[in-house]
Order: sequence, then structure tokens, then C-alpha cells
Amino acid sequence: MNKLLLLLGLLGGASHALEITITDELGKPVAGTAVWLTGKSWQASQLQQQKTYSMGQKDRAFTPHTLIVPSNSQVEFPNFDSILHHVYSFSQAKSFELKLYRDKPLAPVQFSQAGVVELGCNIHDWMLGYILVVNSGVYGLSDAKGKVSLAIESSQLGNAQLNIWHERFENLDKPESLPLTITEVSQQVQYQIKQPLLDKLEFLTDETDDYE
Amino acid sequence: MRPMITSKQFGVLVGSLIISQHVTAQDMSAQVKGNVSISLTNPSNTVAWHQYGWGISRFSDDNQRLNISRLALSTRLDISSAWSAHAVAQYVPDPNDKIGLTEAYAQYQPLAQGYQFSARFGGFYPRMSLENPALGWSSPYTYHFSGLNAWLGEEVRTFGAEFELKRAARRFRSKHDISMIGSVFKGNDPAGTLIAWRGFVPHDRQSVFNERIGFAPLKSLSTAQLSRQGQYVEPFTEVDGRFGFYLGTHWSYLKRHTLRLYWYDNNGDPRAINYVTKQYAWDTKFWSLAWRTKFNAQSQLIAQAMVGNTAMGPTRGVDNDFYSWFVMFSHTFADYRVSLRAEQSKVIDKDHWQFDENASFTKGVTVNVQKSLSQQWRLGAELQLIDYEADSRSAVGRAKGQDEQIWRLSAQYQF
Repeated sequence: MNKLLLLLGLLGGASHALEITITDELGKPVAGTAVWLTGKSWQASQLQQQKTYSMGQKDRAFTPHTLIVPSNSQVEFPNFDSILHHVYSFSQAKSFELKLYRDKPLAPVQFSQAGVVELGCNIHDWMLGYILVVNSGVYGLSDAKGKVSLAIESSQLGNAQLNIWHERFENLDKPESLPLTITEVSQQVQYQIKQPLLDKLEFLTDETDDYE
Repeated sequence: MRPMITSKQFGVLVGSLIISQHVTAQDMSAQVKGNVSISLTNPSNTVAWHQYGWGISRFSDDNQRLNISRLALSTRLDISSAWSAHAVAQYVPDPNDKIGLTEAYAQYQPLAQGYQFSARFGGFYPRMSLENPALGWSSPYTYHFSGLNAWLGEEVRTFGAEFELKRAARRFRSKHDISMIGSVFKGNDPAGTLIAWRGFVPHDRQSVFNERIGFAPLKSLSTAQLSRQGQYVEPFTEVDGRFGFYLGTHWSYLKRHTLRLYWYDNNGDPRAINYVTKQYAWDTKFWSLAWRTKFNAQSQLIAQAMVGNTAMGPTRGVDNDFYSWFVMFSHTFADYRVSLRAEQSKVIDKDHWQFDENASFTKGVTVNVQKSLSQQWRLGAELQLIDYEADSRSAVGRAKGQDEQIWRLSAQYQF
């Protein structure tokens, strides 16, 4: 049954989605790019804001690495590791700290202000995660092919602003943007990131790195 | 000649923890973890050093063929955002069911946006080793530590303060972690005793606070010059009233390549002696360089080298240079980990006391295979070949060399 629903969803989605392909300066696809639409027709629904989102910690990494949530929503921080994590943020959009044990979940945190929240762990200082708080109800992350599909309704046709953010931007608080006129529900957009991306930081860690 | 300071320091630490408990009880949370190793081994025919024998294998009693080779309990108590208290207690069956603390310290690590400052106060291991990152300073790679780290585990411990300033890669969007470490400490004056009178031996017996560890009945201990030395070491005691120190630096590239360089100097006054405990202060200093490279998520190379000098007595009657190194390769696949280590250590006797022979030479190869059965249970087997020789053995009519083939099967339960 689930499979059938998924199939229907895919078929339906294919014809009702804004398909965006993100590339870098050299034209190569960029994974992990956050995109969201802002404008009058793209506000988050009450349902979206009432949902509790989740930023877990598993195998000494934030999972997901990047989480997009609409502003005024709540995020919980489940720790799936057997060790303590001391999660914190100094970001302007939200600064907080939580000492998280697996068996002692804490209350979700409210994210009211739009912006980039950079997460760290005071015990495992290589851990890095992002929560993007957006004034939007339509958002997504690009896949390995640089593609992201945003489901839209015919009632939403018109002008919008496409916002683009990547963790390898020099200034994390400055997303790129593009004014967009959406004329059909199955439109395709190519977006080439305007700035050079910083080097990838791929730390190779395992359980033996705990002893810092 | 001053009394032992370690127990006092520990008392102060515990006292301060009790006080803080009352102050911030509402914010506190604790984490307790533990590890038990049930082992089957072939005991040596020669009585182990810690039972005052000439053996170089940890277990030499037939009734220790099947034993709990270690039980470790590690606790972390979070007192506030920045402060936490840590303690590790261990049980070992040898020589006589010993329970004690191997570490107890308070840690200060406030949240930081840029450079990270942190400090530890109490009794703890310096972080020179890359071989011992598991619970209770054990090794996830082999059961017996290299001779180098086995010696650190039995004779080197900080009782004092350690400060670190770290430039964490991630916070600076850099690929390099760099940190500088400095420590001042008391105690640890007799460190070096076992280097001189036994040498480096790969094993996994860590000394607990205030412990006394025996060694072989050396002929030289019956001479007038050494008559005030006990046939044991109390490695963490204060003898000369002076502070020791160490300096270190850690560097890492994307956590793939890691280096740790340390200079340790217990600043011992070799003239100082505690007539009651029969312990000298040894002037012990050494460099330690540890290196680890992960080739990928499965394979890694870990190496460490130490070179230094230790001396005791008013005229430095015992004066030895030493070095020790090992290279280890470890590979994981499916639920298995295979580790292979080669090592070599040498103590060079350079003093004029001919009656006290200190030269020793140790070579060893260790192979270990472990399988994880679950998150809690691990099974494994290890074979260790040691080729050891010491000049002091000839003085009592023993063959200069002693070889050991030690195997151990172990079931480990972690919680």
C-alpha cells in the first residue's frame, strides 16, 4: 500500500514540481544545497509549523547534516549515541546549549528567527551541523546530482524569490537569491552558484577519536 | 622526604565534588560506563615482576589461567556547562585482587567560539598515547599494550593541573586542528624505577593511585649504595617537593593524520629519598612522539616513539638512557578487527655503578583478532611473542634472555 502511494506521489509530483538543478562555478552539480522559495504564496502552513523536527546525533555526527525548518517551529535533538553530546550554537538566529544523553531526551527547542544556526559539540569538536530556519513552507536540499524538486500547486504560480545556501559559502549568513517567475507547475530551473565554494571539510572519525 | 601527596590531592578533589553537588544539584547529570574482560591465558612459569619475580608476563599463577583481566568503571558527572568531574576505577586480579582509581579529575571546558581553552585538575593520564583511546585508557586494538604505553600506564600519571589551548579545525573552517598543552604536577618522582630495574615489557596492567609495585630481587639491592631502596616502586609519590612539568602539542589533519609530541620532565631531584617508603626521586625526562594515519575508514597505522633518560642517587649512580617504539597496523572488516604490532625497547646503562646492571632489550610482536557480537559483547584472541634480555639477570645466575609466548582469549562486555 505504501509503495503504491509512493508511486502515485512520484507520478503526481513529477508534473507538479519546480525542478531546480544547482551547479557550481564550473558547472558541476552541487549536493547539499539548501533552496527555498519566499514570497506571499510560499509561507509555511500552520501544519508545517506545528510539526516537531528532529536533529539527531548518531556515530558522532549530526543527522541530518543540514535541516531546513520553517520559522516558529520546534526541533528536538535525540542522541542515538551511548556517549554524551554537548550541543551548542552561537549563531545570531538562535544561540543555545544542551547536554544530551541517550536515555534523557530534552524538550524541543523553538526556532523563531529566520537564519542559519550552526551547531557544534563541545566534546567532539569536529561535529558540525546546520539548521536553516526559513520564512517559507517550500524548501529542499539538492541531491548528489544537484537536483531538488519543490512541490507546487497551480494556485502558487507567479513571482517568487529563489534562495540558495550552501555550507561552503564564505559568508554563511548571506544566501544567494534569484527572482523567479513561475509560469507552470512543472517548470525546470538551472541555477549556477555565483561565488567560489570553500574546500570540503571531510573529517574521518571513528569511536577511537573520543579520546581527545 | 615529604609525605605522599596523592591521597591528599584526591581528598581535596573528592571534597570539592561533594561541595559542588550541593550547590548545583539541579543541573547535574551523570554517565557511568564500564568494561569487563574475562580472559583465558597461558600463565608463565616465571613469577611476574609485580609478585617480586623475574617474569615478564603479567600472569604467572596457575589459578589465574581463567580470570577477569580487568574491570573498569568510568564515570562522568556534569556539574555545569563548563565543569565536569571524571573518575575511573579499575579492578585487576593480579597480584591480589586490586581495586583502585586510575584517574580522578575535574575538567573545565567552557563553550568557545574561537580558540578553546580547557583545563584538568586532579590525577589523570597525559594524552601522549594514540594506542589507548578506549574506556579506562585501554586499547581497542590489542589486549597487551606496547611496552611503551604499558610503562606509561604503570609509572606515569599527572597529579596536578593541565591546560590546553586548541584551535579546533571546524571552528576556523580549517583542515588542521592544533593545540598546545602544558602541565605542572606533583608526585611521580619514582617514575623510571621500572625502566632501570626491569625494562620495558608489553602488558596491560595499569597502576592505581597509591599503588606499590614490586620487581625482581636484584642482586644490586643488597649493596650498601642501594640499601635504602625498597624492592618496589610507589610511582606516583612525592619525594623531593619539586614540581614536574610536561609540554605537548597535538596536530591533526581532517582527523586523518594525527601527531602528538610531548616533552615530559618530572624534575626529580636524584639526591632526594624518602627513608620511610624507601623511594628515591628519579630525574626522568623523555620525548614522546605519537603518530596515526587512517588510510580509510577501515585501515590505520599507529606508531609511537619515546626517547629519554632517567637517573637516581646523589652522584647519579643509576643513570640510564632509554628508547621505546612500536608500529601497529589495524584493519576492520565486517564485525572483525585485526591488529598487528611490532615493538622494540632498549635501556642503556651509562653510569659508573658496575654492580647495578640496568641494560635491557625487549622486542615483541603482537597479533590480535576481535569480533563484535553485539554492541556489548566482543570476543577475541591474541598472541604475543616477546624476546627480552636484561644484564641484571646474569648477576643472579639466570640466563640473560627470556622469551615468552603469551596467548589470551578474551570476552569483553561493555556497558
